[in-house]
Amino acid sequence: MSSLAVYVVAAAAVFGVGVYGLIVADHVLRKLLALNMMGSAVFVLMVAVSGSAQGRPDPVAQALVLTGIVIAVAATAFALALLVRIHHDTGRVTLSERGDDDD
Amino acid sequence: MTPELLVDVILAVGLVALSLRVVSGGELFRDIVVFIVFGLVVALSWARLGSPDLALAEAAIGAGVTGALMLMAYRRLASRSGGASGDRSRRLRLAAPVAVLAGTAVAIIGLAALGIDGASDSGGAAALAALPATGLGNPVTGVLLMFRGLDTLLELVVLLVVLLGAWAMMIPGPPPALHLVSRDTPLVAALLTIAAPLCVLVAVHLLVVGADEPGGAFQAGAVLAAGGVLLVLTGVLRPSREAGPVIRLAVLVGPAAFVVVGVSAMAFGRPVMELPGLWAVYLIETAMMISIAVTLSLLFGRSGGFRRGGP
Repeated sequence: MSSLAVYVVAAAAVFGVGVYGLIVADHVLRKLLALNMMGSAVFVLMVAVSGSAQGRPDPVAQALVLTGIVIAVAATAFALALLVRIHHDTGRVTLSERGDDDD
Repeated sequence: MTPELLVDVILAVGLVALSLRVVSGGELFRDIVVFIVFGLVVALSWARLGSPDLALAEAAIGAGVTGALMLMAYRRLASRSGGASGDRSRRLRLAAPVAVLAGTAVAIIGLAALGIDGASDSGGAAALAALPATGLGNPVTGVLLMFRGLDTLLELVVLLVVLLGAWAMMIPGPPPALHLVSRDTPLVAALLTIAAPLCVLVAVHLLVVGADEPGGAFQAGAVLAAGGVLLVLTGVLRPSREAGPVIRLAVLVGPAAFVVVGVSAMAFGRPVMELPGLWAVYLIETAMMISIAVTLSLLFGRSGGFRRGGP
């Protein structure tokens, strides 16, 4: 097993763990943690796969992932701003489709 | 097993173990801290994968700024635990199978992609071939500024839109004070005297070497933002509701410099976004660094602007 394959398998495992966390979490902050871990897993996978041909990561893939990291932190910041506002207006920190959370 | 492979396996096991710890549902504060550690292990993985640019970015932005934002939100939410919602049992039953399916699908895609021989005329190969003509030594900076400038410009616009969105979502009334310690506390003033100039120094260093070595505007902006976070937490900068002219200018200077230089290329008969030379790269990267640092600091402070705090 090459070291690239090690990272690919680890990234897939982290992605699966992130999906699990996203589903079971009630607190939106936890959902955001899981979502960020899924994003990191995809980034690691992209960089590992892009390096398989020439032995070092493709610079275009690296630039894409760098862009992705910044967009991820921006999206997280916006989600947190929404969450703080939701908490301020309704007192809730969870999402509920019915709109009548039991807390 | 070679020592190199052993390091990779240890990092990979660490990634999976830390991610499991984050979703295992203990105390939320601890999970956020473990998430920050997870980000640092991702940074180490990238260093091992041969991408120090991404390692720097992940350590500064992915782990550092995201972690600071999460901890600040945690503080704002007064550490409320999420109440269990009604359909929880059904979700719990489905979670594990769905997660295993998703992970398996990603593993299959990734391992299949590893087996594909890369095309000889890929974008990355073209970028490496064209790089010496630009005078840049770092291919990632070359792709970000020279070859795919529009992507990077739009990335800055996304940051700007996020800041506008966060401003629109601001809680009415004056923003609460965020500082945890005052500057009178022993050692805090000494820490600031060392750490604040060091942040500026490291940021400018990352910016300047970014042309040839790992580094660049995003990493530099994140380090500068870390300095901003430090100043907010010690009360040197106090959040205010309105953005002053300096803040507005700082937020806009990055995209504006990129657009002006990129579009003015047309006046000289070159394609849009084709940068005229290395000076343009440094100019745009400096402007980007300032905009990124101020935007991230404002997002951290959840404020329109900053004013100088009293002692």
